[in-house]
This record gives sequence, structure tokens and C-alpha cells, in this order.
Amino acid sequence: MKIALMLPGILFSGLLLFARAPIQDLRKTIIPFEINHASLKQAFQKIETATHLYFSFKTNDVLRYVDINYSSPGISVEKLLNDLLAGTDLGYQQLENNIIIKKNVLQISAPALMQADLSVLDFEGGIRGKVTNEKGEPIAGASVSVEGHVNGVAADVNGSFTINGLKAGKYHVHVSAVGYVMETQEVTLTENGNAEIYFQLKLSANNLSDVVVTALGISRSVRSLGYSSQEISAKELTQAHQNNFLNSLQGRVAGMTISSAGGGPGQGVSVVIRGVNSLNPGKSNEPLYVVDGIPVDNGSSTMTLGTTGARGVQMANRVSDINPDDIESVNILRGGAATALYGLRGANGVIVITTKYAKAGKLVVNYNASYSIDQGDKFPEVQGTYTQGYEGEYTPDSFWPDWGPTIPDAKLIDPTHPDKLYDQYKHAYVTGNQFRNTLSLQGGNDKASLSGSISYFDQNGVLPFTYYKNISTRLSGRWTFSDQLSAGADVLFTHTNGNFYDADRFNEEMSYWAPRWDVRDYINPDGTEKQYPAYNGNAWYKAKTNQFISDVYHTIASGYATYKPLTWFTATYRFGVDQFSDNRSATAPGPQGLPGEVIDEDNAYGFVGKYNINNRSVNSNLLLTFDHTFGKFQTTLRVGNDLLDQQTETVSTRGDTLDVYNLFLLSNAKKITTATNSLTQYRIVGLYGELPVNYDQFLYLSVTGRNDWTSTLEAANRSFFYSSASLGWIFTQNINNLPKWLTYGKFRTSLAGIGKDAAPYSTSTVYIPMQNDPNNPTQPINGQIQWTLDNRGGVSNLKPEYTTTFELGTDLSFIDNRIALNFTWYKSNSKDQIIPVATSPTSGFTSLTLNAGEIQNSGIEVTINAKPVLTRDFNWTVGLNFSHNTNEVISLYQGLQEIVVGSQFGYSRSSVTMKYIPGESVGDIFGTPISRYYAKPDTDPLHVNKSLPVLIGDDGFPELEPETNQKILGNAYPKWIAGIANTLTYKNFSLYFLFDGHFDVQKYDQLNNFMAAFGIAKYTENRNTSITFQGVHEDGTPNVNNPVYLGQGVGPDGKDYGAGYYRNRYRGASENFVEDASFIKLRTLSLTYNLEQKWLNKTFIKAASVGFTGINLWMHTNYVGFDPESSSSPANSNLNGLAGFTYPALKSYLFSLNVTF
Amino acid sequence: MKKGIKKITAFMMLALAFGSCSKYLDINESPNGAVEPPISGLLAHSTYATAYTTFDVSNITSYYAQYLASSGPGSDLDTYNDIDASSTWSYIYDAMTDMNRMRGIAISKNLAAYVAVADILTAYNLSITTNLWGDIPYSEAFQGVTNFLPKYDDQKTIYDSCLLLLNRSITTLGDPSLDGQIPASADFIHGGNIAAWVKTAYLIKARLLNEISKQPEYDPAAVLAALANSYTSNDDDAQVTQFDGNGPWVQVAYNNSVLLLDGWLSAYFVNATNETIYGNYDPRLPAITDPTESGDYQGTVNGAGRTGSGTSHGECYLMLDKWYSIPGSPLQIATYVEAKFMESEAQFRSGNKTEAYAAYLDGITANMKKLNLADSSITRYTTLPSVAVGAANLTLALIMKEKYIGCFLMPVTWDDMRRIDYAYPDFTLPVDSHLPSFIRRVNYPAVEISTNGANVPNVELTDHLWWDK
Repeated sequence: MKIALMLPGILFSGLLLFARAPIQDLRKTIIPFEINHASLKQAFQKIETATHLYFSFKTNDVLRYVDINYSSPGISVEKLLNDLLAGTDLGYQQLENNIIIKKNVLQISAPALMQADLSVLDFEGGIRGKVTNEKGEPIAGASVSVEGHVNGVAADVNGSFTINGLKAGKYHVHVSAVGYVMETQEVTLTENGNAEIYFQLKLSANNLSDVVVTALGISRSVRSLGYSSQEISAKELTQAHQNNFLNSLQGRVAGMTISSAGGGPGQGVSVVIRGVNSLNPGKSNEPLYVVDGIPVDNGSSTMTLGTTGARGVQMANRVSDINPDDIESVNILRGGAATALYGLRGANGVIVITTKYAKAGKLVVNYNASYSIDQGDKFPEVQGTYTQGYEGEYTPDSFWPDWGPTIPDAKLIDPTHPDKLYDQYKHAYVTGNQFRNTLSLQGGNDKASLSGSISYFDQNGVLPFTYYKNISTRLSGRWTFSDQLSAGADVLFTHTNGNFYDADRFNEEMSYWAPRWDVRDYINPDGTEKQYPAYNGNAWYKAKTNQFISDVYHTIASGYATYKPLTWFTATYRFGVDQFSDNRSATAPGPQGLPGEVIDEDNAYGFVGKYNINNRSVNSNLLLTFDHTFGKFQTTLRVGNDLLDQQTETVSTRGDTLDVYNLFLLSNAKKITTATNSLTQYRIVGLYGELPVNYDQFLYLSVTGRNDWTSTLEAANRSFFYSSASLGWIFTQNINNLPKWLTYGKFRTSLAGIGKDAAPYSTSTVYIPMQNDPNNPTQPINGQIQWTLDNRGGVSNLKPEYTTTFELGTDLSFIDNRIALNFTWYKSNSKDQIIPVATSPTSGFTSLTLNAGEIQNSGIEVTINAKPVLTRDFNWTVGLNFSHNTNEVISLYQGLQEIVVGSQFGYSRSSVTMKYIPGESVGDIFGTPISRYYAKPDTDPLHVNKSLPVLIGDDGFPELEPETNQKILGNAYPKWIAGIANTLTYKNFSLYFLFDGHFDVQKYDQLNNFMAAFGIAKYTENRNTSITFQGVHEDGTPNVNNPVYLGQGVGPDGKDYGAGYYRNRYRGASENFVEDASFIKLRTLSLTYNLEQKWLNKTFIKAASVGFTGINLWMHTNYVGFDPESSSSPANSNLNGLAGFTYPALKSYLFSLNVTF
Repeated sequence: MKKGIKKITAFMMLALAFGSCSKYLDINESPNGAVEPPISGLLAHSTYATAYTTFDVSNITSYYAQYLASSGPGSDLDTYNDIDASSTWSYIYDAMTDMNRMRGIAISKNLAAYVAVADILTAYNLSITTNLWGDIPYSEAFQGVTNFLPKYDDQKTIYDSCLLLLNRSITTLGDPSLDGQIPASADFIHGGNIAAWVKTAYLIKARLLNEISKQPEYDPAAVLAALANSYTSNDDDAQVTQFDGNGPWVQVAYNNSVLLLDGWLSAYFVNATNETIYGNYDPRLPAITDPTESGDYQGTVNGAGRTGSGTSHGECYLMLDKWYSIPGSPLQIATYVEAKFMESEAQFRSGNKTEAYAAYLDGITANMKKLNLADSSITRYTTLPSVAVGAANLTLALIMKEKYIGCFLMPVTWDDMRRIDYAYPDFTLPVDSHLPSFIRRVNYPAVEISTNGANVPNVELTDHLWWDK
């Protein structure tokens, strides 16, 4: 029966001349077998004749097994082999259709033994050989193929291979292995002759695999690409041990700005590749994330249901649902040519994530555990001299936290005053921890394999009462049904649950909190809020009671089937669903009605809100591949169809004034203040094609074209076409007389266009009920709904926007690949940008979506990888990358002066605004500057000339420009990003450390503005001194010998200085708070020890390692506030220059254990 | 091979089938709003929003009129620095856009009463806007994508347009068949009462005619003629009393009660009512605020900021249990009290002192009645020698002083101040004034400079508006 089933398969494969022989399943290959007094070698030969299997062995190994008798009318080869080898010291391994017979205890051959090994091999005709690395260690699994022959083989664990059945002639033998440069040798075989070849493969440049996953999951060799590509492997990712894998990419990828908005549990991460491409302030500049071929929504809704502040900032973005332990590799596709096949969704770059899938082989079980202790990595420096009060007067019942007398003076009045002030911010934070456990299994054979994992993650934040938990599971299967048909399926499921408190609110409250009191003493026995006499909200009480919980179920499921009916034609169909539901609830208790109870201003009379987001995306992708070779031209034509169908539905309900003060039921709320729902649908269909042509393995040309049809534009403008071309030339292959130290050199260039559509509903204008007015939600009164014209007007004749990218680059490697260098220069221009332009409210709309404006980005990216030391025991590799991006707003819509992105509050007149102005850069921060001499009349209304002397007023203090004269004080995007990673391995120890930095970047430090206003900052300790400010008077005379008092009230000179310098003047200049946010961090320091193999040999453990990782252990920055990377905007916002109060970044001490069974 | 080609063709067909289905992509009508809303819903919003446009304007003019003062020192608003009234500007034009759209729908549906009410509300909102900024967009406004850079009309054109809108509405609403066209629940100002709208149209017309007192075309008889058809008692007042949550001044008092300091009374207003300036206590003051912790009434000097810590009751502010800021209190848009003082002024300027004096006393009485003062208090005040001066001794300053108190928090007061060149007893520049003289107008908001800069006139805060010249 089984044989009958097998037969047609074998016959069919025989008919297809070029098809490779099906890999035989030893269990299913049943043969009759009878031998008498035969040697083991003869037995193997007999099996070879009955099957398509080839045996390879060392004659010495099998010589002593003779006189074997065996008889069976039908037996599986598996059972037969087991029987034959029972009682011998031999085992076998199947590599495709090769059966490798080997001694059970394996000895890794030293290179010196190489020739000796070969000499004892018993040749039966064909080619035999060995593959090793540069150190002579065997490369197991290296793929060996003979040009013009179908049967490729894999090297065995000793690196040895055998190819039999070759006729006399000349052969080109190609050997390739992951991570190594492919090598080809020519051999000549005589009739029935044998040949031996020894391959010593070189590590490939970049230490990356030779093959990378490019757009649409197509694997292409790095050498064939006409654009830059960077891959980060699982190993590199896990070295960093970050919970959100995006953090693990920090400092590793050129041209990629990754910023954590803060270290909140589960907090999102912002990623921008090659600068901001869109002038639309509301549009995310995040790259597209593609998980196992399926684009995944990385949205992070910031809806917080009217809880205080920007709590949405802390929300997770959805790709963080992916367990970093599940990731096999991450590829970063930058620039138009690399992303062309993804169409408009790839316009900001693409991050291709491949999760782990099982390979044929024995069951492997892996257990991974890590535990970390977390602290805030940086707290603002506070003064510890002056206590509560105002004008130096101690008033424990006043609002003013820090303008009082010194502690000894206060103690004279109030003996209960503590000896030391609490370190305001530091004391408010606790030690957090993170715990992750992952168990993964994989196994299978050449027909079917399965892998799965389950992981549990639990984090307690450094901000009290915040936490984040997630359980994630993954299941992945691969099936080979026949030579023609194979299929796979992947399912990722994650459930996360977190309580997100608003760090902005927390730190703001801490800025009002007098550090003479202990904020951790926050609650009375009856559960009410504890405060000191002047009622200031207690940040801990709010964090405890004012909860915002997000509970997310996220599923990414995808499946594919590949059908290869002809040797030159393959069809792959892939279908995927990305679905998540985010159920958020906001709750706070109301007052209990107890005597003396204070009603918390944030909790008010208690509220309960429910907010549900349901998001699903369906993707369908059909890819047809045609291969053809014309002489020295090798081509592959790919054409395909791509479809996305996306839908997001939200429902939001909120009620306040609770009847039972702590019962969080909507029906327990006396007033329903919000009841809204909304739906967004988006569809796009694309047809695309790619034609790479390869001439003689050194010239690679690739052209792509894509047409999209989108649902977001009117029918007439709905369809748009764009294309790209790229060229790669490996000049080291055809220029002679190049210096010997130049091992490899490629020049590449590309030109690409990408069309983009509009956001859904940009073409329609509607009236909305006032309940839905985001600025002014109004509930019906007496049953009367109020209607208003939506302030966002639709424009029907929008056309697609268009981005052109030009890229030039080179990949070089020197001294036998010991040093590899990649260099890329790029320029991209986006025209006819579809932007919701802020329009004059007098037009009837505050925003109209128009084709308006052009933006240009250009920059360079450099990566250098070197291996300074490569010895048997000690290795040192260094990876360095840096990049520079400049960005210019070329033009805006005719008549439009600027596009305002957003602004953030500052005391007095120091509020800052981010806006786009033609000729300036995206990311510019505008604010009130300090006046400078000769700056009037002001010939440059936009820039501050800091080299000019400060203008000192008649009062002896620096003058400030009026609020109406705001200028550019900084830019939120770093001009330079650099990272340097070192890996040192000594025997079983591995040390990894990564420094990275952002340079020439500024942020508005709102916290510092408050610290000045309330006398918290360390620098305000000079408040009781008098100084002469440097600068000049209006008439040009220098300000000399003109001391003024910095403190409050009457100074030593008898003058009344009122609220004092810091409140009256310093806090009013935005220039003081738009700070240098450059930094250098020791991002990761990781030490791993792999247990000695010999200790594990007699156990069921295959491998084990333990490690310690430190994250953010050291930082250098001049920034005053919390971490300079932090931002008070959500992860995908363009308002990243406004740092607000922010969640501190984490300094983590992490211990990990990894065991493989 | 042939079979293969067939297969490939089949795949291609499948792909094209996906690509060419255009109905599949016809999903771009927003499901999150209505293409045509119920017209009553637009009226509801137009009337409701007018309470807030009035409040937003008042929240600027009340500082210039020194009704209120900022609790912090040197605030831009108090000290005549440039302010950015973008949100006020945006809110008013947003509301006027809804009035404009309501008008369009009403015309297409032949609902004349809606057209008239849209015009009255537009005239009112244009008038309070132009009195802050002078030249403003109107003739090219509300055109959406066809013209989102509207030009500015000069203030005289705006005034003429307003009068045109009002006259037309008065004519339209003369048709008795229109009664009942507007549902009571959708009209937050007059509950669907057409006759009341006619009176309001006349009152706003009278105000516009009164405000041009410096201009040669000023005609007190025309003011009186309009007033003759206007309000006859406090019951006629155009005001909004129903709010979703707190009304705007109630919210100010609430915010102040939770230490978001706001609604602090100016020293000038307090001194004008606590005997400092006029030598007698005004019984309306206790209806507006409570005495401080030191037992007296103290205001905050504009520009100087508070004297106390802010958390103690060292100065007077709007309070949650006082007439203007108690939950349920009305947001006044146009009042009988104002009508009486306008009448008094017009009669006075016409030389009819007796009629002017009678209207003056009626205005005071009506205001005190509205504030629920006891008749005895009213009588005591209206018989004070400094108040009951007799027709012969009546002065314009006295009329304006009483109008100042009677129109507490209303935007019209700042118009009056500029018309009489701030000739109020003891009225002074704020502390640390950025201008050498009294402020005459508001600078254009940042939102307008940012989005329509080329059309925005260049102005100084000391520039006099058209009617102020």
C-alpha cells in the first residue's frame, strides 16, 4: 500500500528532468532485504541499489563489521539501518538522500588532520571533499552543488560530503553556507574516477548571512542587491535582552532613529528611518512592520478617556507584542528601491521580521529565563537646601514647595521638620523588575516540522503601581507534500495587560510637592488621600487609585502555499490576518463622604470609562516567479498581486459621579459623559512586478513596477503607478590588478519612486454630533443633539503624492574580509504631499486635506565591521555604524506660511511650538529667545545668533524677546547617530558591549521649566546671591559692576525683587529649556558563559548558558530632565521634540539562563 | 509546458480579478458623520455656541474693562501685551460656519424662520468679533476649499452687513405663519419664540447704531427707534441658562475653587462698587462675591497680580454660590438692562434729560431685580444722593458708570469704554502696562497669521477701530 503510494511520486519526479530527487523518508521506504555473510559495506551497497540513497562512510569505521545475515520480505530502511548498526559503534544521519555513517562519539577534526582524513576515505567514484571555515573547523550542513546537476548535498557534521554518479568531465562545484562567502572550484573527473576537493570558506562581509530576506519575503543574496540592506540576527537581538525588540536595535542600524518615549512598563518605541518623509503632522513616520510576510499594524491609540494628561504616551505599540525570543531575524529595508514592492505602505522603510520556524531534525527544547532589576537611569538634580515656603519664609501650609528658608532655619520654627529634604523625583520612584520565561520546542522531519513557544512576561514599573504582563504563544508549521507543493502556517497570539499611569502627571505633581514631606506616605487607613496641610495632590495616591488598564488580545495568523509545477515557475500564495482588540478601562474612586476628606482633583467624584478598539487587517498576496537563463544572463521575473483590507472600530463610554464610590460599573455612574463609536475602513489592491537580471554573477540589474488602487482617493485618481531600478556591480570580479587587500567590492545605485494615497475619508465632509467634537464634547441637553460641521473638510480631487529616492553606495571588504565597509548616500524628495493643512477658521474648516508641499531628506549611512582578533580561543569583532540626515521643507502650499505640528506649555511666556516653515527643517522647536545686542532691528526673524552678547535691561537682568518673536531654538531630530558594538569571546565566555549616541539634537525640557518656576532645580541654589549678568546694555555699553539679587523679596541692596530671578525672568525664556539632548550611552553590556560541553555530555541537556546583561549602565549627557531620549508624545508622533515630564528610562541589571534539551 | 502556461494564465486572471473590482474600493464615504444633519441640530448648536462665543470674547474684554484681573503678575492680557486669541477666533468662526450652513439648508428647505435666526446670530457674532479686531473676513468667509484664504472686509462694511442681516430678519420674522417653525428644544436662547427673536434683532441693531456714537452718521433717534421695538423687561433677555455641565463662568469659579486660579475681580470693579470710588456700597457686590478673610472687599490690581499666596482668601473672585457663577446662572447675550442704558444714553445725547434719567433709573432697578436684590436694597441704592442725582444733574459718565456695573462681564462694556475714551473716574493703566495709553483693539490671532497671513492687516494695539476714530 505504502509502496503503491510512493510509486507515482517517484515516477513523476523521474519524468521531470530537472526536478531534484525527492528526499526519501526512511520510515516509508520499504524494501525487501536479504544478505548472507556479507560485510556492512556490502549491505550498504545493496540498500543503495534498492533505493535512491547514497552512503558515505570511512572504510576504517566499517571494516570490522563482517558476516552479517539479514532477511526480510519488506522492511523500512529506518528499521533496517537500526538493526544493521545495532551493536556497532556507528550511527547514521540523513542529509537529504545521503546517509552518513559515523562513529557515535564525534571528534571535531582539526584542520591539520584534514588531508589524513581524506586519505582514508573510501572512494566509489564521484567527488568527495570537505568544507571548513578559515580556522579549519568543519561547516556542517554547508550546501554543495555541482553546476548542471540536480542533486545537491549537504556536508555532514565533519564537513565532509560525497557526490556520486558523475560521468567523466569538467565540473564546477559550488559550496555555500549561511554566513560565508560562496566558493566555486573546478574539478576534472575521469571515467569512474574520483576527485577530492577541500573548501575553506571565508566569513562573508558584514558577518551577515549571504542571503537576506528582502521585500515580500524573497530571499536574495546580498551580492545581488543594488541597495543597502542590514540584517540583525536573533543572536544579536537577544544579546540586548530588551523586552521590546525594537530597543534591541538601538545603536545597531545605520540611518535608523530609535527612541523610547520612556521606560514605562510596555512603553512604545519610536522608529524613524532616514528622516521624516511626511509633512503631515498627524501622520506616523514609522516604518512598515512585516511579520512572516504579513504587514502588521503598529498603531498605538492614545485614547485615554479623559484621564489626566497624555497617558496614551505610555501605551505599548503593537509590534512589541512579539516575543523577542521568537525572532529569527530582523531586516531593515531603507530607501525606495528596497521597499518598492511593498508599495506605498513601505514608503517610510520596512522592518521585515522573520520568526523562528522548525528545521528538520530531532526534537529540540529550549528554555530561556531572565530576571531584571530596574531603576530610573537618570533623575534630575534637585536642590536640597531650601524648604517649603515663599520669599524665604517657612509656610508649611503654603502651596510653594521650595521657595522657603534653609532647613536649619525651618527647624527653628518647626521641630518636626526632617533633617534632610526628600530627593523629590528619585524618592517618588521605586525599584522595578522584569521577569520573562520562554519555553520553545521544535522538531520534525523533511515532510513536516513544527515549532512552538510559550512565554510569560511580567514587569513592575519604576513608577509605583504600574505594571505590564503578557503571555505570548507561537505555533509554526512547515509541510512538504511533494516536490511541487509545500505549505506553512504561523500563528502568534499575545494577551497583554497593563496599568499605565501618566508619568507627565506624576512628575508634574511631584514638582508641586514640597520635598519636606514623604510622598510615599500617601494613604489613610480608611483609604482616603493623605496630604500635608496645603492641599497638594499626592502623586502616589493618584497613581494608586487613578487607573488606566489596557487589556489586549492580539493574533497574527498567516499561511502560505508554494506550488512549483515547472522547474522555472513557482507560485506562492500567502494570506494573513492581524487582529487585535484593545479593551481599555479608566477608573477612579469618588469621595467616601467621610468628614475632612479631600476630593482628589483628578479623581473628582469618581468615574468609570470603557474604551474598546477592534482592529483587523487582512492581507492577501500572490507571487508568481519565473526563472530563466539566457547564456550568461540569469533572470527571475516576479509578478504578484497584493491586497489589504483594514478595519478599525472603536466604542467609547464614560460615566462619572459614582453612586457607590468604588464600584466601577457604568450603571453606577450618575452621568454618562461620553458615548461614541467610530469606524474606519481602508482597502488597497496592488499589482507589482520585479525583474532582476544577473550577468555572469557580477552585474546585477533589477527593475520593479507597481500599480496601486486605493479606497481613499476618488475613482479618477485611485489608480497610480510607480517604478524603481537598481544596479549592483561587483567590480572586484572583473577588474584585474586590484590591490590584494581588497577582497570584495561592489558599487550600487538605485532610483525609485513611490506613490502614496491619503488617509481614509480625506475626501469626504460630514457633520458630526457635538458629543464627537474632540475639542469640546457636548452631551445632548433635553434630548437635543447639537450638530456641527466637522472642522476637517474633505477635498474630492486629491491626487497621490510621490516620493523619489536616489541612492548610491558601495560595499567593500578588505584583508580577507577582516574589515567590511558599507557606505550609502541617499536623497529623497516627496512632492504633492497629502497634508491636512491647517486652514484659516474663517474658511469654515480648520483643516483641509490638500496636495501641498515638498520635503527633502538626504544623508549618509556607514557601517564598518571588523574582526581585529580571530584565534582559536579568543575572538574580537567590532561593528560600527553612523549616519547623518539633513532635512528641508522645500515648499508649502501657495499662500501658506507654516504648518503647526503642536506646542507644549511653558511658564510665563516660554511655551514652545513645533512647526514647519519653508527652507527650514522638520523637527524645529520654536520658542522665546533671550534678547541679544544688535538683534534689533531683527534681520533674521527665525534664527538666534548665540554669538552675540546678551542684552541686559535697565533692571540688570537679561532681556527676553516678546512671545510674538519666537525663533528656532533647536531641532528634535539628531543630525548624527552612531553606535559601536564589540563582541569578545574567550573560550566559553562571551562579552558584548554597545555604546550608542545621538548628537546635535535638542528637546524642550518642560520639567526643567517647572523646576525653575518652583525653585526645585539644583542651579537655583544660588538664589540668595547677587551677581552681575554678562552682556551689554541697549546703548552697547557692557554690563559691569551691576549686581542684582537672584532671590525673592527684598535683596541686600534694599530693592524688592518680587518673585525673584528664576520666576520673573529665567523661566520665561524657552531658550533656557530647549536643551542639548545629545547623549552617549553604554546601552548594553552583556556577559555570557556557555557551559562546557563535556560537563553536559552525560546529561539530557544539550547546551546551557548563563548571562548577565546591564542596560543603560552609563550615560553622558548635558540634559537636565529625565532621559534625553524620552518624549511626552506617543511613540509614533511627530511631536517628539517636546519632552514634557516623561517616564524615566530604565537602568536594568538582568540575569538570564538558557538551556537546550 | 502548455499545461503550465494555462496554470499561469489562471493565476494571472485571479490576480486581475482582485485588481479590477472597483466597487470593492468604494468605501470612502465617512461613516462617522452625517452628510446632511437635522437642521434643528444646527440651530441648537448655533444658539448654544453663541453663549460660548460671548463668554470667550468677554474673557478678554473683562480684563480690559477691569472687571477681572489675573491673579499672577504681568499677565499679557492685563498689561496690554500681545495676546493670542486663536481659540476664541476659531471658536467664533466655527460657530458662524454652522450658522452659514444652517442658512443654506434652510433656504433649500424653505424654512424662513431658520434663515432669519441664522442671520441674527451671525450679525451678533460678527459684531462682537469686529469689535475686538476691526477688519475681519465675512464676504469671502465660509467657502471651504474654494477659498481658504479669505480677504478681510473693513469694519464699516461689516457693520453695514450686520444691519442688513438684522433688517432682513426683522422683515422675514414679521410673517406670523412662521410661529412654531423652530422647535423650543432646539433654541437655547429664546425657546423657539419668534417674537423674542424680533426683539433681540432690534436690540442688536440698536447696539450697532449706538456704538457708532463717534461717527458722523450717528443718529440717536435711530437708536431709540430700534429700542422701541426691543425688550420691555428682563424676561425678554437673550441668554442661555442650560449647559452640559457647568456654564462657562461657573466653570471659572469651579476652577478657582480647585486652585486653577481664575475669575479674580479687578481692583477697579471692586473699588467702583465698594465705596472707594463712588463713596457708597453697591448692594450688587455681595451678589457677585464674598468679602475677603479680612472682612472687606478687595480686588486685584490689573498687572500687579495677587498680594496673597493664592490659596488663602485674600482677594475677591467669582464664587460658586454667587449670581454670575452659581450653577444654573444665565450667560447673558443681550439684556433689557443694556437696552435701558442705551436708551438713557441716546436720550441724553438727544438732549432729553428727563427721559434719559428715567431710563437710567429703570436700568439700575432692572439689573438689581435680575440679581434678586430685595426691594429695600434697590430703593436704598436708587435714592442715594450720588445715584438719584435728578434729571438735571445726570451726566453721561453717570450713565456709563451704571451701565458698567449693570453689564458686568458683558463684552459691550469695552466698546463703551473706547467710545468715551476710558473716561471713567479713577480708571488707570494696568501696572507694568506695555502700552503708554489705553488699549484700543486686539492683535490678530496666531492661527490667522499662520494660515492666512497675506491677508491679515498689520496693526498696533493703540490703533483705533473705525467707529472709535
